[in-house]
Amino acid sequence: MSTIDYKHKMAAHCESGAVTSLLNNAGLEITEPLVFGISSGIFFGYFHKMRSFTFPTFIVRNRPGSIRSNLSKRLGIKFYTEQFRTPDEGMRRLDELLEKNIPVAVQVDFFYMDYLPEWERVHINVHFIVVVGKSGSKYIISDSYFPNLVELESTSLRKARFVGGNMSPKGFLFYPEFIPKEPDFKKAILKGAKKTCFNMLKIPMPFIGIKGIRMFAKKIPEWPSFARDIEHLSHEIMKINILLEDQGTGGAGFRFMYSSFLQQGSIILNKPDWGELSKEMMEIGDGWREISLFASRIGKNRELGPERLKELGTMLYGRAEVEERFFRRLKNSLN
Amino acid sequence: MKEKEGIVDCPQQQVILYVEKEDGKYEPLQTGSYLTKNFLDDYQLKRRHLEESLKQKVQRGEASPVYYYMVLEDLTISELSARAGIRKGKVKKHLEARHFNAIPQETLQVYSDVFNITIQDMLNLLVQCPDDTVDTKTNS
Repeated sequence: MSTIDYKHKMAAHCESGAVTSLLNNAGLEITEPLVFGISSGIFFGYFHKMRSFTFPTFIVRNRPGSIRSNLSKRLGIKFYTEQFRTPDEGMRRLDELLEKNIPVAVQVDFFYMDYLPEWERVHINVHFIVVVGKSGSKYIISDSYFPNLVELESTSLRKARFVGGNMSPKGFLFYPEFIPKEPDFKKAILKGAKKTCFNMLKIPMPFIGIKGIRMFAKKIPEWPSFARDIEHLSHEIMKINILLEDQGTGGAGFRFMYSSFLQQGSIILNKPDWGELSKEMMEIGDGWREISLFASRIGKNRELGPERLKELGTMLYGRAEVEERFFRRLKNSLN
Repeated sequence: MKEKEGIVDCPQQQVILYVEKEDGKYEPLQTGSYLTKNFLDDYQLKRRHLEESLKQKVQRGEASPVYYYMVLEDLTISELSARAGIRKGKVKKHLEARHFNAIPQETLQVYSDVFNITIQDMLNLLVQCPDDTVDTKTNS
């Protein structure tokens, strides 16, 4: 089997990257920030204790899978989706689709992506890649986190698609089946922004949205009680940087991408006030970046006493303040 | 963030950042990972220390190789149980050194698949070498 003629592009985030690249290759011109913004990708959730995590953690994007589903609802794009009972069935269907020259996005455990460096790979079942061909026992992969197309052994892909655990993929795959000729971007952008404001300001749970950022700020001084030792604590504190900027869940990176969404939205909707909001969001991203760099520094220097953690908490309270003001202004701009 | 502030020279790990370009547009920049460039050495040092201390725990008979890989791969007992399809109570038992030898071969294979290692990697942990400087994990 040969590789489908597929234009690979890196992206800031795996799910919005996979969806954007599938749509671009199917002929729809849409940018990753538009996909991200329309699908209300920006989010915040803090989880102090969870069965599947060894340590408190946070997320800065909406639920995995909802970038595709929200985009589909708001732009009228239909995606074919399927999950499988057995790995054999799931691998067979993937091969059949590739035979038909259809590039297919699949959900995988990031850990088995052997082409990535060892230090990047963690067990997380919500990574999205696009499979664009097969050559012998290897699949050709377009991964938003890798600069070019890459090969992955069939055994690794099989493991990654059918791993158990929290948010187990069950071989989940999708590809666009129908794209409207002229999707209503204006309506979709406004809907996406409205839902984002709701998610950040109104969800009545203390660990979600702005309230979640405040809970994170309040709880971070308790993190040492979860750590095996100082190096473990340092590792977890430095993971704040990974979550905010480097991979998977994004963060400061997501705020930067959202500012690009607002800038593009201001042109499409002819809303100059969104131009101002996009600048503000860029500054908010810079603030998150300061936090992630501070976390890395104190982590590396093992300066993890109560004072330092409190300082980190104060910086987070600051983010909650500015984000609350920002999302209220964005919400008002929609009226 | 301005474009020049986002530029990081780190070919080992590339990322996409949305930055302010000279014309004022917020567009993607392919650049290196700041974290990998500046903090990878610290990550690797901590990883080595963790591997060493876990290996010693296994060799002192305080934990089993299943425990070693579970901690190293940052999995909880619930998560490992769900991934391996083995009851939580049984997984807990398998974390103890005294029960490790009784684990059937097929179950060891299931754990090895989850950890992406070979059974031999697990067994090697039980062998004591006098000048043992810990090898990094070998992936199958």
